[in-house]
Amino acid sequence: MKKFLAIVLAAAMTMSMVACGDSAKTGSDNSATGDAGAATTDTASVDANVLNVSIASEPASLDPALNSAVDGATMLVHLFSGLAKWEQKSDGTLELVADAATELPEGVVNEDGTVTYTYTLRDGMKWSDGQPVTANDFVFAWNRAASADLAADYGYMFEVVDGYDEVAAGEADSMNIEATDDKTIVVTLKNSVAYWNELLAFPTYFPVREDVVANESWATDPSTYVNNGPYTMTSWSHNSVITLTKNDNFVDAGTITMPEINFYLSDDANNMLTNFENGSWQMIDDVPTNEIAALKESYPTEFVVAGQLGTYYVCWNVNEDILPAGSGLSGKEAEDARAEIRNAVSLLFDRNYIVEEIGQAGQVPAASFVAMGLTDGDGSQFYENANGGKGGYYAVDKDSLQSNFDSAVETLKKYYTYDEASGKFTDFPSMTYLYNTSEGHKAIGEYLQSALAAIGINMQLENQEWNTFLETRKAGDYSIARNGWLADYNDPICFLDMWTTASGNNDVQFGKGAHEGVAAYSVDLTDLGYETKVENGTWAETYDVVIADIKSCTDNDTRYALMHKAEDLLMSTGCICPLYFYTDIYMIDDSVQGFFSNPLGYKYFMYTTIQ
Amino acid sequence: MNPKTLKYILKRLVLGVFTVWVVITLTFFIMHAVPGGPFLSEKAVSPAAQAAMEAKYGLDKPLMVQYTTYLTDVVQFRFGPSLKQRGRMVIDIITDGLSVSARLGIVAAVLALVFGVVLGSVAALRRNTILDRIIMIITTAFVSMPSFIMGSLLLVEFTINLQWFPANGATKGGLVLPIITLMLYPMSYITRLTRSSMLDVLGQDYIRTAKAKGVTGWKIIFGHALKNALIPVITYFGPMLAYIVTGSLVVEQIFAVPGIGRAFVQSIINRDYMLIMGTTIVLATLIVIMNLVSDILYKIVDPRINLE
Repeated sequence: MKKFLAIVLAAAMTMSMVACGDSAKTGSDNSATGDAGAATTDTASVDANVLNVSIASEPASLDPALNSAVDGATMLVHLFSGLAKWEQKSDGTLELVADAATELPEGVVNEDGTVTYTYTLRDGMKWSDGQPVTANDFVFAWNRAASADLAADYGYMFEVVDGYDEVAAGEADSMNIEATDDKTIVVTLKNSVAYWNELLAFPTYFPVREDVVANESWATDPSTYVNNGPYTMTSWSHNSVITLTKNDNFVDAGTITMPEINFYLSDDANNMLTNFENGSWQMIDDVPTNEIAALKESYPTEFVVAGQLGTYYVCWNVNEDILPAGSGLSGKEAEDARAEIRNAVSLLFDRNYIVEEIGQAGQVPAASFVAMGLTDGDGSQFYENANGGKGGYYAVDKDSLQSNFDSAVETLKKYYTYDEASGKFTDFPSMTYLYNTSEGHKAIGEYLQSALAAIGINMQLENQEWNTFLETRKAGDYSIARNGWLADYNDPICFLDMWTTASGNNDVQFGKGAHEGVAAYSVDLTDLGYETKVENGTWAETYDVVIADIKSCTDNDTRYALMHKAEDLLMSTGCICPLYFYTDIYMIDDSVQGFFSNPLGYKYFMYTTIQ
Repeated sequence: MNPKTLKYILKRLVLGVFTVWVVITLTFFIMHAVPGGPFLSEKAVSPAAQAAMEAKYGLDKPLMVQYTTYLTDVVQFRFGPSLKQRGRMVIDIITDGLSVSARLGIVAAVLALVFGVVLGSVAALRRNTILDRIIMIITTAFVSMPSFIMGSLLLVEFTINLQWFPANGATKGGLVLPIITLMLYPMSYITRLTRSSMLDVLGQDYIRTAKAKGVTGWKIIFGHALKNALIPVITYFGPMLAYIVTGSLVVEQIFAVPGIGRAFVQSIINRDYMLIMGTTIVLATLIVIMNLVSDILYKIVDPRINLE
């Protein structure tokens, strides 16, 4: 029987060894961490030829056309070479430069206002399986990405291209793009587009080859993954790690300094931090919110706060009646009153408190909706020129706190009963603030709640799980809700066209339901050379028209002026209450040199070295 | 195997299939009743794209039609494509996850069983000594500590402070801590179970007879007492499996183990209907089978038990 026990014990030990041994295989087929022997040395040793990073969990897709996530985009810029790319100049600033194209030429404006661009591909470009990259691969990839068949989230990125509408509706196979020979791509846009070069650097515009993508699961396995960029995918252990190895066939292989990158797939910020702290990973793109203050202290150089093109805001449901019972107001008067009330409420929040005490990650208090970092027509910051050059729609500095409060109370007194003794309003209808379940959003909700409670406004908090929350907010089943928006490219239009009546992101419900018939808005574009002049129009007659004008506008200055007008109109409704501009926080080990990220949040590891 | 046992197993299998069908049906309709959908995202896709996706995956059809289609597919072991990870099949995602989880679960279960029985026997044999007390105190502590606390403690101590093991379950040696986290509770439970039932058995007449005949020490335990003392342990086999399956959901999250537990949780968050159904069916089937195995083992250890 002793023998039996010994056998059982031995079996148990063997099993555990096998289990642990195998996990190494699934984890790091090609990584040097697997060779070091005992686990003790593994975690401590750092191989200068391998960069271990973790930016997010398993990407939904690494097909450039289907990806719509920032983490997927980061991997795709390492795997593909589009016509243009972001590059860091020696002074640290970023610029867009030609990548697969020999240069980024100016467009030629045609008689009908469309603009034609002609690109020439560089010589010697190859796919990772050795075949040459042709102009046709780009044409095919673009038509595929825009097609109704593929139904890609980011198919609309091609809406600037002539013929997109027909392709997206499934009525045509090809937009106005053509490969005139193996090296030349001719593309015609509906009109001149300020951010066209930026779109060319966007993953949705990367090339794919027809015979490769014919296999629907091509992008899920390294053996079928064919790409044309600086790296090839050498292993993808699903839900655990993706390994990219330098592609020696790449035309610019000489400039790529990091031989191998492991993208560890993790969705747990605590786990990411543990791996960073014990030295296993050199870069992590997420940290636990409640650790931020401590991390800033203990890792002053490794904890990085970078700019990001996004705004954290609160949105009101435009159809929520917040007037006191028996106000007697209707139509335009009622809507104007509600707008005034909502804007007054926006003044009650101390945005500095939110970013300093709750956010703690260098966020910037926001006084307008279009985020910091998006540029204006003259290259300056769009948000600094907001509201006719006032730099915002409210004063959000600390000194203005009291005057904001006083002015808000004065405004609200016009509509509600104010009890001077207690300093509280007595008949403001009770509201519910909806947010998606998260400690950070909850903390902000609690602050907003307390700020309103101070003057007698009762706001309950309700949280919902993410997917449920999205549906509730989209359907407009809320009174006031947490919201946030990140730009897809550096152009204010991506913050503005989401509020048109028909937009799928119109969470405020502008122009929908009861608001459809509310004629409370005025817009005058005559000073910009347009005939549009509407007094007391509906949302569809005003805002939708301005956005349509922006999209067809070919003059840069006029276009930006129109965008400022659109934002003015949007903010006048008071339905959008910006709280802060997002920042991108990440941690990167001091030993890593040559890393940069762009304002869209893409991280570039190819030019890094480990000292 | 006698015909009676065979008949029993067959009956249980039929019942098992019925159970799984009930699980499929409930999950299917509850899942569709939950708000949200697989194609919802912060940035709304165009209505045309949404419609195209729904048509592609048959989500535009009436719910009953979707249900019958799904059942027909499942009977033929076709679990369909993932709605969220485009291009991947549900069966591949499950196989990937299950191979990792099974390794984690089986090793944890075997270690829990071996150490639990050994420690329990030692405690029983050395009753009321210091050794017994230590074993009891430690196991009581482990039984009372939830796995997420245990996991976090081990993580902090062994990956950050001592740096003996990696924090990521996907790297070499990464499964050691999750296995330990997962095994401690069942191990402690089995220790306590073995100890008390061993004490009970040791007091019985046939043991006294054996002792009178001159059998001593470990021989009594392993030769005579253990087989009977193990009956309660075997009844615990089913619950232990259930604990390990559900416990792995938490443990896999803490240690970032790419197992089926994480896939299951993610599938629900993403409303990946196909993956939710696939993982539910696999986990339900697993538990049904393991309960059956546990009952059969019961019979093998104690022939007096009637399986009817």
